[in-house]
This record gives sequence, C-alpha cells and structure tokens, in this order.
Amino acid sequence: MITGMDRLAAAARGEILDRIPVFCNLVDQGARELGMPLETYFSRGEYVAEAQLRMLGKYGHDNVWSLFYVGREAELLGCRKIKYANDGPPNVEDFVIKSYADIERLEVPDDISTHPAFAETAHCLEILKREVGGKAPICAYLTASMSLPAILMSMEKWIELLMLGPTEMRDLLLEKCSAFFQKEIEAYRKAGADVLVYADPYGSTDIVPMSMFRELSLPWMKRDLAAGGLDGVVYYVGGARVNGVLDQVIEEVGFGTYYPGPMDDIGESMRLVADRALCGAVINDIRLIDWTPEEVRAEVKRLVQRGLKISKKLFFGTILMPFGIPDANIRAMIDAACEFGRPDRLEA
Amino acid sequence: MLDDILRAYTEAIYNADRTTALAVVDAARASGVSPEDIVFKVVIPGLDMMIKAINDGFDTNLAQHFMTAHIAADVTDRMLAQFARPPEMVGHVVIGTAAGDLHTLGKRIVMGCLKAQMIDAIDLGVNVPAERFVDEAVARGASVIAVSAMMVHTARGENGAIKVRQLLRERQLEGRIRLVVGGAPFRYDPRLYQIVGADAWADNGVSAARVILDFIKEARS
Repeated sequence: MITGMDRLAAAARGEILDRIPVFCNLVDQGARELGMPLETYFSRGEYVAEAQLRMLGKYGHDNVWSLFYVGREAELLGCRKIKYANDGPPNVEDFVIKSYADIERLEVPDDISTHPAFAETAHCLEILKREVGGKAPICAYLTASMSLPAILMSMEKWIELLMLGPTEMRDLLLEKCSAFFQKEIEAYRKAGADVLVYADPYGSTDIVPMSMFRELSLPWMKRDLAAGGLDGVVYYVGGARVNGVLDQVIEEVGFGTYYPGPMDDIGESMRLVADRALCGAVINDIRLIDWTPEEVRAEVKRLVQRGLKISKKLFFGTILMPFGIPDANIRAMIDAACEFGRPDRLEA
Repeated sequence: MLDDILRAYTEAIYNADRTTALAVVDAARASGVSPEDIVFKVVIPGLDMMIKAINDGFDTNLAQHFMTAHIAADVTDRMLAQFARPPEMVGHVVIGTAAGDLHTLGKRIVMGCLKAQMIDAIDLGVNVPAERFVDEAVARGASVIAVSAMMVHTARGENGAIKVRQLLRERQLEGRIRLVVGGAPFRYDPRLYQIVGADAWADNGVSAARVILDFIKEARS
C-alpha cells in the first residue's frame, strides 16, 4: 500500500505514484474532532496526537501535525499568558518583550527537548511516531529568526524596531532568535518530526522591502539553517507571497521544498522553481468557509492542474485552516486534490 | 517649487526612508514653505499618491505602509506645533481591534494616516467589545467606527463587526455612523466585509484612511 511518505519521496524525485501528496494543515479542527474546548484540547499532547490520527483516517490526506498553536514558541521563551478562543487559534496575550531591556534579558533555553513547555509537544510526537512514523510525514512548525520577534513583542513593535532601530537591539534579538531556532530544530528532529516547516512571513517582500530581504531575511535564513542543515526543511511564508524572492532563496539557501502563498500564481511559482525543488499548489483556505463544495472542487482542480502542467514536483497544500471551514468543504478539497492530482486527469 | 518638494517627499516614503523625508520637509521649511503647506500640499498629497500607486498595482509592502503612516504622523505633529492657528478637525472616528483580537499594527498605520488628514482618531485599544465601539462613537460624535481584525475568527466572530452592525441597527444609528473593517482576512476574501455587515473595507492601512475620510466628508455634506 502506498503511504504519504512514499508519495512525498516520489514527488521530490519528480515522480507520481498514484497521486501527488496532499498536505492538509488541520490544527484547531482537532478539538472539534474530540468534542472538547480548544483550551482543553491544547493542554495535552495525547489529545493533539489522537485528533491528528483520527483526522488522517477520516479525510485521507497524507500528513499529521505536531503543532499546537504558534504561540507555543513564545511559551518556550517565557510567555506566561495565552488568550484562548472558542472558534480560532490561541494568541500570545502577554508579550515576553515589552522593552528593549527585555531583549537583553531574554534567555534561550539550553536544551529545548527537556524544557517543560516542550513536554506535551514531545509526547504528541512520540505517539505520532509510534503510530504513523515512516508512513505519514510528521510536520513541525518552527518560526524563523526574522519572524519570531513578532510573537515575542507584537508585529507592531517588531516592524518598528526593524524600520526605525536601534539596530543593535534588532541584531541582538535576531541573534537570540536564531540561537533559539537552531536549538528548536534539533529538538524537533530528535523527537521525530520529518517535515520541518520554516515559517518566515518576514522572508516575503509583501512584508519587508526587497532591500531588507537581502540585507536581513536572507542572511538570517542561512544562519538559522547553517548548523542543522536543510534536511526536511520547507520554506513557508504563511499567507504572504513568495514568488518575488523564490529564485534568490533557491540560489542562496536551497531548500528542498517551497510553500507559496495562496496569492502567488502557482504557474509562476512552478516556472520559477523550475524542477530545482518540490513546490506546493496552495489554496486560499479562508475562502473555504463560504465556498460551496462544488466551488472548492473547481478551485482545487484549477490549482493542481495548473501546477502539474509544468512539473510533477508538486504537492497540494493549505495555510493554517480556519476553524470555521465546514466539514463538507474539507472533504471536497481533499477528495478533489486526490482526484485531480494525477497525470492521467490532466486536461489539455 | 511645491511640486519638486512633493516629488522628493513621495520618493522618500516609497523608499520607506524617514531620514530623507524629514530632510525634504526641513529644507522646505528653511526655504520658506509654511507648515500648513507642508501638511496640506505635501504630506496629504503624498498619501494620495501612495494610495494611487497601490491601486495601480505598484508592488508595496507592509513595512512601506508602516513607514508612510509613521512619517506622515511625525511630520504632521511637528508642523501642527508651528501652525498659525489650530486647524479645524475634519471629523471623528473611533478605532480599535475586534473582540478577541490583540493585533495593533494595522490600527497604528490607519491612525497615522488619519492624523495627517486632520481626522480625530479615538483609539479604543485592543479586544474591544462591540458595545464600547458604539457607545464611544455616540459619545464622541464619531461618524465612522473602524474595526481591525487580523484573524479569521475575530473578523467573522459574532462579537466583532457583526455585533457592531447589529447594535447600530437596534439603536437606529445606521444613518449616522458608518462601519469600516480591515485586516488580513478581508484581503483574502474581498466579499467578507459584506458578510460581517460593514459598509466598506480597505486592502491596507493607508487606503483605509481614505475610505474613512470619504465617509466623514459624506456625513458632513
């Protein structure tokens, strides 16, 4: 039987076994699956693992996630207050950095794998590895040094520091965030994650000017990844666009997989990647809330076929899917990606 | 001469270059341009040109929007202190993030641009209950409520813009107060503003100030 891992390995070689890999970022939906409030759901690694396994069986996509919520990384760096919602992702409520003196005081844990705030994630990974290791790609979410400050001090204060300085504080924070990233990726690899999503919205020129991308985003990317290497690492910029920097990132960093934003033209992304790496056809998952299943199917078909016309080094993906997406649309999306993600379904 | 100053100032804000923008303003003042002309014939037209560039497909980014607003607010503050007489405020708006939302960047960009337009923007902060938006708008004589939401569940949540609309209807304020929304989810679904009952939305913080200004002018006419 062909597994998700087999499909992913084949796609990376430019081959399709039965269909392209279908990556589905179902995170908050796990709480609904287990019938519990989001705050309860995120309190235990076994809940997250169980929901991921149930959803994998229910929907038939290819991957599982060890991500609880993005603010988890802030907790590893000292955040003590998270704001939970009933219908969406939790958010950092109390920022670790409230003044520049806090940047100087910020301490990067020596060993993240033994940090108490990592314990439930490690437990989740242990279960996922035991149940589907080697069969379904196990994903982890790691924020790049250039983007992590946004959850430590707020987007507003980070962009203010980036654009107005003082540069020595900016650079000190980037140093610490990069040191954290290097320890974090080591911990995730040790715990069993195989797909390491390098989340870097500030690595998109939707967020920063090209000059800053070249002077900061790109060098810090290289530095984050220098020690641990690129094995299993995916370049991801959230909902932002990546096409404007794709060629530079491929040339200078050389990730094996790229995850364009939903506003990128997939045809252009595939042409830019030009078979140098695996690339995602990523749907605008905010629209999945209101589209009909037929509209979902048509959009998935358009995306997948547009990508496949250029190369087989393709997977289907979502951003972090909103909690409010109806179950019927999740099913319609995955079914369509499986159905149209095959060369024999390619229409002229 | 003002055309040259405007051209140089606009180029500086496109480049997110605060130092050059302030140098252009300082040089203009030194050559005798009045503080009123700096605001009304340089800063405000500079914002309009940035909006036009965005609308025309010029590839701008969030950092540029932040700097455009920051520079506009900074220059306006400095010039206001030198005005011959305090300017008349064009109107009032209450602004805040939706219930459950803690993201402040978009709100800050909008407020910076509103300041330059001589609009009194009353900042209600983050995680603002719908009732407070409406109560404060009435108390402050605001003709626009601006709700910023960065996350899907706060943009669409029943305690956010949807409830503001419901309260405006219940209190028969819809003819007097307009509801404007903005934030990432609205960019990914341009029909979303209608779903949550807003009168308008903007794709970015700089353009949002123009949308709000147009509603204020409409209310005054």
